[in-house]
Amino acid sequence: MKKIFNVPDMTCPNCAMHLEGLEDEIPGVKRITASYKKLIMEVEFDETQLTIEQIILAANEIGYHPEITPA
Amino acid sequence: MSSNKQNPSVDPVIVIALGIALMAIAFALLVFKPNVQSLTLTAGSGAWSQLVVAFVTGITTGGLSCLAVQGGLLASSLAHQIEQDYIEQAAINKKAKQKTLKHTNTAFPILLFLIAKLVAYTLLGALLGWLGSFLTLSPMTRAILMIAIGIFMIGNALRMFNVHPIFRYFSIEPPKFITRYIRRTAKGTDTVTPLFLGALTVFIPCGITQAMMATALGSGSILMGAALMFAFVLGTSPVFFIIAYLTTELGARLEKFFMRFVALVVLILGFTTLNSGLNVLGSPLSFQNLTRNLISSNSDSVPVSESPQPSATDSSIFLSVKNDGYFPRTLSAPADKALTLNLVTNQTYSCARDFVIPSLNVYQLLPDTGTMQVSIPAQPKGTTLFFTCSMGMYTGQIVFQ
Repeated sequence: MKKIFNVPDMTCPNCAMHLEGLEDEIPGVKRITASYKKLIMEVEFDETQLTIEQIILAANEIGYHPEITPA
Repeated sequence: MSSNKQNPSVDPVIVIALGIALMAIAFALLVFKPNVQSLTLTAGSGAWSQLVVAFVTGITTGGLSCLAVQGGLLASSLAHQIEQDYIEQAAINKKAKQKTLKHTNTAFPILLFLIAKLVAYTLLGALLGWLGSFLTLSPMTRAILMIAIGIFMIGNALRMFNVHPIFRYFSIEPPKFITRYIRRTAKGTDTVTPLFLGALTVFIPCGITQAMMATALGSGSILMGAALMFAFVLGTSPVFFIIAYLTTELGARLEKFFMRFVALVVLILGFTTLNSGLNVLGSPLSFQNLTRNLISSNSDSVPVSESPQPSATDSSIFLSVKNDGYFPRTLSAPADKALTLNLVTNQTYSCARDFVIPSLNVYQLLPDTGTMQVSIPAQPKGTTLFFTCSMGMYTGQIVFQ
């Protein structure tokens, strides 16, 4: 499953790097691609292992507050 | 059993002392200039002054700017060090059944990181200098490059100030495969990590570093390119070291203030670079050329007949080229008459020796001591010819009346 989040509190390209680092931390995440320019984060994950809320929670823990984009 | 032997890390006091020593060397380089004539890094130009400029740029703004961009990498290596120390300490405490708090040694990885960065950038400078030896940057190309870099830096500063989302496009994001590789390397478990991460900073240079890389490219010399980058990164190192050390010690409380400060410095430097580019382009819109006529006093302007050299004639004018610029800054000359401009140097080693009249496409590298003549074709009345050094730092004008 792929989900795009708005991440309004990214302040530099390094923030994108931090968020992408979550792909090594959260089991069930296949890939995270974050863009500082667009302030978005695209997460590819296995929904049988992980929920959207858990992804948001993991991002919150490193200081970011993703919001689900309207489909 | 012997818990004291389990922590082989270097005493932070020694590392801080090394950092201070680095600063001392840096300041010594600033204060005690060696015999310039003995320094022949590049074909006759003011090599030492360029290195000093590179160093001063590093020590004043480069450290802050680079820290803003490369701070993440440094933080990664520090985080690893802190984590490792914490795990070690927890193990020690468990064995000893006591709860003591050991101070984390963050100075050592910072130092390793900076050493690797210094070496990597020196090699990069050599490579750029070598590549530059195949290219010749004309003053016009250099001016355009400087203007582009200036705009990039201003855009970056406005991005940091969060002025408008459009300025986010002024940031350079390295390719994802590089960031992914760097990130995974940052999770390494040995002391090589900060060394390796320091070397990897060449892939994420800050705006000022990029400007310095352009200068290294323009030097057209392997040795000069390497020396320029070495001087610049050496200059950044003490600031990098102190701020990184203090930041990790004081926590993230200062981060917001720090970023604003960096943004302000980058903004100022961006305008300075843009202005220098305009000077090299011979634009009347540069700060010096705009304000010269507003604030110039009569003493600043010297007509031909009153030129400081006794041998001045109607058809020849004299300009004194000194380490701190051109004197007088405004020369008056008769209109509709071909002239000889005599450029007089006397132990001049600054970039003022790289003399440029952009509108006439004159570019002359002057001897450190001597007189060089430049022919100026007849100019109509009211013409103003702007002249500058090749870096756009020192400027002046000839007004035809």
